Amino acid sequence: MAEKLIELKNISKQFPGVLANSNVNLTINKGEIHAIIGENGAGKTTLMNILYGLYEPTQGEIFIDGKKAVIKSPLDAIKQGIGMVHQHFMLLPSLSVAENVVLGSEPKKKKFFMDYDKAIEITKNLAQKYGFKVDPREKIEALSVGVQQRVEILKVLYRGADILILDEPTAVLTPQETDELFNVIRKLVSDMNKTVIIITHKLQEVLAISDRVSVMRQGKLIGTLPTQQADAKILTEMMVGKEVLFHDLHREKVSGEKVLEVKDIKAKDNRGLTVLNGVSFSLRAGEILGVAGVEGNGQSELVEVLTGLRNLEDGDYFINGKKITDVNPSNMRNLGISHVPEDRLTMGLSKEASLWENLLMGLQHKKPFVVKKIHLNKKKIFERTDNLIKEYDIRAIDRYMKVKKLSGGNMQKVVIAREFSFDSPILIIAQPTRGVDVGATEFIHNQIMRKRNEGAAILLVSAELDEIMRLSDRIITIYEGSITGEFKNKEVTKQTLGLYMTGKQNKLKGSEDN
Amino acid sequence: MREAMKKINLSYIISLALSIFVALIIGALIMLINGKSPFIGYSALFSGAFGSKYNLATTFAKTVPLVLTGLGTAISFRSGIFNIGGEGQLYLGAFAAAYIGITFTSLPFFIGIPLAIIFGALVGGLYAFLPGILKVKYKIDEVITTIMLNTVAVLFTSFLVNYPFATTQGKMNGTEIIAQSYHLRRLVKLSTLNTSIFFMSFIAIVIYYLMEKTSIGYDFKMVGQNRMFARYGGINDKKQMLIAMVISGALCGMAGVFEVLGVHYRFLQSISPGYAWDGMLASLMAKNNPVGVVLMAIFLGALKTGSVSMENATSIPSELVMVIQAIIVLFIAGEAGFKDKFVLLNIKRKSKKAGETNA
Repeated sequence: MAEKLIELKNISKQFPGVLANSNVNLTINKGEIHAIIGENGAGKTTLMNILYGLYEPTQGEIFIDGKKAVIKSPLDAIKQGIGMVHQHFMLLPSLSVAENVVLGSEPKKKKFFMDYDKAIEITKNLAQKYGFKVDPREKIEALSVGVQQRVEILKVLYRGADILILDEPTAVLTPQETDELFNVIRKLVSDMNKTVIIITHKLQEVLAISDRVSVMRQGKLIGTLPTQQADAKILTEMMVGKEVLFHDLHREKVSGEKVLEVKDIKAKDNRGLTVLNGVSFSLRAGEILGVAGVEGNGQSELVEVLTGLRNLEDGDYFINGKKITDVNPSNMRNLGISHVPEDRLTMGLSKEASLWENLLMGLQHKKPFVVKKIHLNKKKIFERTDNLIKEYDIRAIDRYMKVKKLSGGNMQKVVIAREFSFDSPILIIAQPTRGVDVGATEFIHNQIMRKRNEGAAILLVSAELDEIMRLSDRIITIYEGSITGEFKNKEVTKQTLGLYMTGKQNKLKGSEDN
Repeated sequence: MREAMKKINLSYIISLALSIFVALIIGALIMLINGKSPFIGYSALFSGAFGSKYNLATTFAKTVPLVLTGLGTAISFRSGIFNIGGEGQLYLGAFAAAYIGITFTSLPFFIGIPLAIIFGALVGGLYAFLPGILKVKYKIDEVITTIMLNTVAVLFTSFLVNYPFATTQGKMNGTEIIAQSYHLRRLVKLSTLNTSIFFMSFIAIVIYYLMEKTSIGYDFKMVGQNRMFARYGGINDKKQMLIAMVISGALCGMAGVFEVLGVHYRFLQSISPGYAWDGMLASLMAKNNPVGVVLMAIFLGALKTGSVSMENATSIPSELVMVIQAIIVLFIAGEAGFKDKFVLLNIKRKSKKAGETNA
């Protein structure tokens, strides 16, 4: 019988308008890797934020080692030996690893001044003890995401945590980095007697690493079971409450003309550094071209260049064989490009505006939605709005509802509905299902495939390899602003893509020769 | 009608009404502390604003510049560019109108008056174009530049009326009187209410239509709410901001024009007691909604007019109205915060109730 370490009893958390957790009972055993899974908005992170003292529960109690614990702030949590690594790293990029690790309880000399040498020594020892490879003197901004994450973990360990909460730790990692992280976690548990709680929504990871798994849905804990007794199907059913399986999508044979082509294009990021370093590819009607890459390797900028939102510094851009000289958003839209941007809140929508206003964007100067040059034809606009709400199953009270009041999945459906309704020959789609629940994901995937089968040329950028592999006809990998490989889907494995995405394809070539 | 109701932000109207109500209560307390009866004070204020034909006319005369500058503020704020330079644009617009009125003295009214209005609007618009172009081209904060340009305009016109354009008729820091044909007709005996109220009404309707019913208004709103989204949707955000800024400046310029053509018949060194600031307040109170701006302008105009009568009738200083206005501003600034507290309180109460029934 495993030893109970943490017991959450009847935890509820009420936010304005949302019951984020409702009577959750959860037991974490000592020395286990406990996965908490659920869709976005299921209440996983809220529950862990309560345990870490960031939120106070509306009701319920926490017991640690059988004693009732009062955790009102992260400080209390740290005292109890609980540490948390957030989804978004909380590191200071311009400081060194050592400075970040000791931040908050720095070693002092003469009671007032920070002891840098000591900090470096501490970090070095700590890294050695846990078998992490990090240079304490390196600045955070110079490190890869995977290493930054290890610094976060070190930080937590430095504070003496025995219980580590990891919130979506693999969201930003490559498959290789994920494997490395999992090795680190296993080692922490087996060699150092730590307990790890890992929040995720990726089923494969749960099955790969955890000892036990708890499933949350709509703020409730649906159940906890030993991972050995679980499989993807059982967990998915528990997560969504109904059977949603990612079956193969119907793919019609479409052979189309080349509609979009770029040759050796270059672009700079907001800081003026080159992020696209001579990218060339072409896109045909009736195909989905997936762009696989770890975030930050130029794919966001690629999308912006193609849609006219970012300056094309160099190279040629052709649509239907014609060279485009004036690349700006309005021109690209007129040339038949629709764009589902990677971040719906900063670019894809206006939160404060109503549903109809958000769905109108792009058509406000087009007949029949505007008459007599400037007069908005509300009747036609509302007709279209209501049709789209129905067709794309957007769950809203009415067309006047502000978009900020919709759930993430429904917001994304608004963007998809608008962009797909233009019937553009070219669709540029970035992270279409980021932060969207399983049901909406399935719906969006189906819509994308429908567009492909109708003959649209689709460029799909996604950080989710599963998504790329499910939808694409062809896949290109991008690494540090260059295309590193091109593959026919079904002829390539995730692992191979992973290597190309990290610029390590040469390793592979060696092994393939054998 | 039901459609219209859905668009109205009811919770905001309630909180605005509450803010005004509380501000009036605090005003009443101040009167009490000073040994004055708030009942007498406020009834003097009310009758001073609406009590007679003359009072009513004075209130509406005050409303004209407030509506124009208020709409000017609203259209720029809604487009995400903040024109705080209404006062300067008003001064220059007013001077431009006076210049036309003392230069082209032989023009008939049906040419002269439109010419003065257009020229004033043009000057106001151009004066707003300057900070506008600095903003969109060089990312220079328009809040700062417009505020500074206010001072430039006020001092520049003050130089003009004291030296090159000073009236020869005694020393009064003003220009000569504009030609008779430029004078807008007075509507009510003794009051300054004049036909500019019809011009203003027409302009207000045009601006309302532009902001609420057209694709241009839609573009303005989208740029103001989320510039990235607007750009992504193919709107030329910089151009829209510039256009909004120029319209805003033109409206403020016209506010000045009507002060000259309808009220003073000449440009005066201190022609505006801060109309543009009160107009901005009207716009802030109405959250840049054009209909709301008109209503709030009337409300503020009434407060201003009534305060003078109140002082005459009860010896309560008219500055009390400034205090009330300031309190309203405070409440509006805190509106979001108050609302959150209010909602939280509600939830707490509800969940408490739910807990009781569970037990």
